[in-house]
Amino acid sequence: MQALKDASNQIRTYFNFISHKQSFILCCLILVSLIFVVLAITLGSYGLSIFEFIKGNTTAIQNTVLIEIRLPRVILSALVGASLGISGAALQGLFRNPLADPGLIGVSAGAALGATLIIVLGGDLFDQYSLGIYLIPLAAVAGASLVIFMLYLMTRGFGYEGVTYMLLVGIAINAIAGVGIGILTYISTDAELRSLTFWTMGSFGGVTWPLLTPVIVMILISIMIMVPFSRQLDLLQLGEQEAYRLGIDVQRLKYTIIITCAAAVGASVALSGMIGFVGLVVPHLTRLIGGVNHNFVLPGSAIMGAAIMIIADLIARIIVQPAELPIGLITSAIGSPFFLWLIFRIKRL
Amino acid sequence: MSIKTESVSLSFGNKSILKDITLEVKPKEILSIIGPNGAGKTTLLNMITGNLSDHSGEVYYDSRSLNTISIQERAYIRSVMSQFQNIAFDYSVMDIIQMGWLDHKFNMISSDLENYQNDVIEECDLQSLVDQKFNTLSGGEQRRVHFARTLLQLWQPPNANDQNYLLLDEPFSNLDMVHKLSMMRSIKKRATAGTGILMILHDLNLAYSFSDRIIILKKGSIVKEGDVQEMLNEDLLSKAYETNIMIDQDPINIRYY
Repeated sequence: MQALKDASNQIRTYFNFISHKQSFILCCLILVSLIFVVLAITLGSYGLSIFEFIKGNTTAIQNTVLIEIRLPRVILSALVGASLGISGAALQGLFRNPLADPGLIGVSAGAALGATLIIVLGGDLFDQYSLGIYLIPLAAVAGASLVIFMLYLMTRGFGYEGVTYMLLVGIAINAIAGVGIGILTYISTDAELRSLTFWTMGSFGGVTWPLLTPVIVMILISIMIMVPFSRQLDLLQLGEQEAYRLGIDVQRLKYTIIITCAAAVGASVALSGMIGFVGLVVPHLTRLIGGVNHNFVLPGSAIMGAAIMIIADLIARIIVQPAELPIGLITSAIGSPFFLWLIFRIKRL
Repeated sequence: MSIKTESVSLSFGNKSILKDITLEVKPKEILSIIGPNGAGKTTLLNMITGNLSDHSGEVYYDSRSLNTISIQERAYIRSVMSQFQNIAFDYSVMDIIQMGWLDHKFNMISSDLENYQNDVIEECDLQSLVDQKFNTLSGGEQRRVHFARTLLQLWQPPNANDQNYLLLDEPFSNLDMVHKLSMMRSIKKRATAGTGILMILHDLNLAYSFSDRIIILKKGSIVKEGDVQEMLNEDLLSKAYETNIMIDQDPINIRYY
């Protein structure tokens, strides 16, 4: 307990405007996610014990399963959860709109469309260059940035009143991306089709270290760039005009959030497909337990997103062993009722 | 030392919003801008704060052109309170007040700043509200919270004594009489301490009873500028508002109607 208190004091020195309670919650969240990481590595259709591994009592095949399959998968799910959580929180702050979610407003769909384009039309590039595997994440990021930027242009000047408008634009963008993906599915070959289907459902399976490494770097850098802008996001809630009067370069803030969110969402969509509702549910849960200031909500959403995603993936893996459920099914099953609840809550405001 | 605009004009398309405005906000002085709806008062304020920059003419803060001053530094020089919109998330009243703490103050969050903050909260009569959610407050209460935030933005470390300015757009709307008076007192106090003050007011009564100088703005141009006695002119006001305005003096409270 004392150690937890010390750690939370440590956090307070890094983040201004975060209360004792909030830093304590952050520490607890980190602790919980670490426990989940250990659980997720241990449990699965192939029984493993992380303690045996540390002691060195494992066979070669167990080592392979752990290091080449289990570990990258857990890391990916944590990172995707973190990036969707923090992007959801940052976009909600940027749009001053509690219903912004990378999935709902079409950012993930834009990323998926970008990735699909490369898979189907850029198939040749893969074989020619060793850097080909990085093209998919890059295309996904480009697709995501395009969508966020379009959304910002279309909803500017609406502020808090633009809630419905933005969702409608999101539906339209989702539909357009759906059409694009549909056409690409139609003209794709069998092998390409197999890699396409997983974008609609989302999955953490089949990830390898060479694919994972650039995504780790991208997501971590995005998060590290985003968090220092927390205070500016708080001030932005007063409106762009007021934020400017309080000394904030609003243009710079907007572009930073748009690009980092696009990078984080694009990178995670490129490896795991479209996973809905995490970006919506996680920031609200974080606000519910600790408060609304972004100094807490951004890091809190990242950590909570990671924890929730590890658990969701664990459920997906063990509930119908040895097969697995699509992860998107689980997050949507939890997220969509929550979304309804939110809509009714906002209506009452 | 002053905030100055020099023959500033602004037009959207063919429509001219502001024409050749030259004015000066001086330290220790309360300058009020009055005028009918649509005269361009708020646009003028937005230009002075730097929110609007595509105008001709120049705006100067303490003889430095506004364009040469960084966005952050502008916030140290002038503090602005305007009309507000809803806030999407449930910030507490204290959160909103503390949004007036500027970045450079993070390193020196001193007992002095905290004392000042407590004084401001008391001054705005917000002691009982600080822990509540901002969105649950009434319009007048929200106004007072924003006023407290604006005052907090004016804070300076004890040894610093830079000139600063307070720009207010309709500060008294939605306020009851008691709080109107106490806010007036707060503004007067800042002026006495050296802050230059610019206010946009609809209430002629308030403008005349408590400004040092008055500008009448009509259709984007300055009709007349002068001290209160000079501006207390039935013809002038009637022309500006295109209706008959009678000036009468309440013998007891010395109020003008």
